[in-house]
Amino acid sequence: MRTKFWIGIGLSLLLLALGACAALDSGLDLPARHQTAEDLGEAPKMCTNCHEARGEKLAFGNFNHTATWMQTHRQQAYQQEAVCSMCHQPSFCSDCHASRVELKPSLKNQAETSRQMPHRGDYLTRHRIDGRVDPTSCFRCHGNPKSAKTCVRCHG
Amino acid sequence: MIMTKWSGRFLGLGIMSVLCLPTAAFAAEISVKSDTIFRGFERDTATESEAMVLPAYEYLQIDVDTPGEPGLALHLYGWGRGDLADKDYYDDTTDGEVLYGYLEYSKKEARFNAKLGRQHVFEGVANETLDGLRISSDLGRYFSGSLYGGQQVAMSDEQGRSGDSIYGGRLSHHLIGRYALGVSYKKITNDSEDAEEMTGVDLAAYLPYDVNLFGNSTYNFESEDWAEHSYEMRATFGQLAVRPYFQKFKYDDYFATGANSAGPFRFLADSGEELTVGGGDFTLSLDSTWVLVGKFKHYTYEVLDDASPYYGAQATWSGEKHCQIGGEVGYMNGEVAQNDYYLVRLFTYWDQLPAILPIGFVSADVVYVGYDKPIYEEDNSLFVSLGAGKKFMEDALELKLSGDYSSDPYFDQDVRGMLTASYRFGHSL
Repeated sequence: MRTKFWIGIGLSLLLLALGACAALDSGLDLPARHQTAEDLGEAPKMCTNCHEARGEKLAFGNFNHTATWMQTHRQQAYQQEAVCSMCHQPSFCSDCHASRVELKPSLKNQAETSRQMPHRGDYLTRHRIDGRVDPTSCFRCHGNPKSAKTCVRCHG
Repeated sequence: MIMTKWSGRFLGLGIMSVLCLPTAAFAAEISVKSDTIFRGFERDTATESEAMVLPAYEYLQIDVDTPGEPGLALHLYGWGRGDLADKDYYDDTTDGEVLYGYLEYSKKEARFNAKLGRQHVFEGVANETLDGLRISSDLGRYFSGSLYGGQQVAMSDEQGRSGDSIYGGRLSHHLIGRYALGVSYKKITNDSEDAEEMTGVDLAAYLPYDVNLFGNSTYNFESEDWAEHSYEMRATFGQLAVRPYFQKFKYDDYFATGANSAGPFRFLADSGEELTVGGGDFTLSLDSTWVLVGKFKHYTYEVLDDASPYYGAQATWSGEKHCQIGGEVGYMNGEVAQNDYYLVRLFTYWDQLPAILPIGFVSADVVYVGYDKPIYEEDNSLFVSLGAGKKFMEDALELKLSGDYSSDPYFDQDVRGMLTASYRFGHSL
């Protein structure tokens, strides 16, 4: 009960602060949109092709879309969602991170083989092993009643 | 397309809101993105064996905003599906979903942002879709914060939405270019009963010599213990980028999320298991075209008192535009033989084709997996996918055709086809 009281106080103070301090800049402001492929004359591939790996506001090197980016972007997206949204619309994320998607991302974008989408090929069989080895990796996306509809058809 | 009652209400609310706004209030653009997907394959249904299933999907995205400028905006995205063969294959599943639909107001000052409607909140301990309100803002030079509240969309199937709620927030302290330290909290109730209550800390530290540290820890108030610790370091040494990482999960706390948990995971919450994952990715960029990747991942189980290492390697050649050829091999050495497999993948995407050809790109993908212990008397899977496509109408319309073949423990021979028509439309209001 005491913990809940302090959580309530904390959230209330945060709400007050959001109302009172919402005009005070942090200096972290970023452009709403990155220059497009048309602006640049070519599709931007690596942030560090144009930016320093450690910029004044951002560590651009951390956002390089390397061959492992599809599997490793979690921490960067949590911390700096604003950087993602400079190039990607929310729908780009929602094809994987949403309450209920029926077509797995690698199937919806079947022809885009270079995007290293998860669950490529016969994942129906492979998930039996990956799920036993590390069920936390399944839970992150299939861990609520709606997103687990894919699982309960067989697992109940 | 059958939408849920709430999905329909939000879609209607969003469209009505924009129509009611004075057009002079914003020099906005409307952009529409439509992906129409036709698929074909054979499946056994409740009434027929090897029935032809012909689903047609429509993914529709509508954005009304002033590109690159703060202000008022509307964003909608959802999908619907119909079965052209009218079989009963999809009888037990929803035929559509509004993935998000919200009004957004943002200001340049202090990065103020408010979203009202269906949205995905992805920060701190929250990775949830909710119908509600979220506001965020800088709080001066060293702090920023966000709050959200509403109803969790995932709970809509759990005895309706009465008594369901979700709320939470995140407070972050940061020193630009040095570090950011966040504290977050979320609480979910289902039918007026507590379903999930989590708090967590997250960290981004930018250390000397281009070494960066990221991570988060999550505490479960219901089970009263730490559920997860996930930390990684990113460092670059010339052409070599390394990403060592460490994760620890306590199943009793990670999977114990009350009514918010789902069938296949609930029993794990009573297993007492603790999983520790350690590993690293090593990415070597030889030049502007060749990239080599080595992966190592080691899973250790406390209760099972065993371990499973995974080894992987990848090579990719990238050319002009999006041309790419690559290959990947992986080996999972499970703690028991039935968890052992090796994987070989070869893929290409090529969009630099001679102008004489009637297509703009071709793609190919081959995935072969060998299993140490047969599954349904099969010890391997072979998946082959071929695709081609072309853009029309000054790239506004793209047609993509792909065909897949799979021979695996579940299907002796499974052939599937898919035609996608992607259309983009933009117009100033």
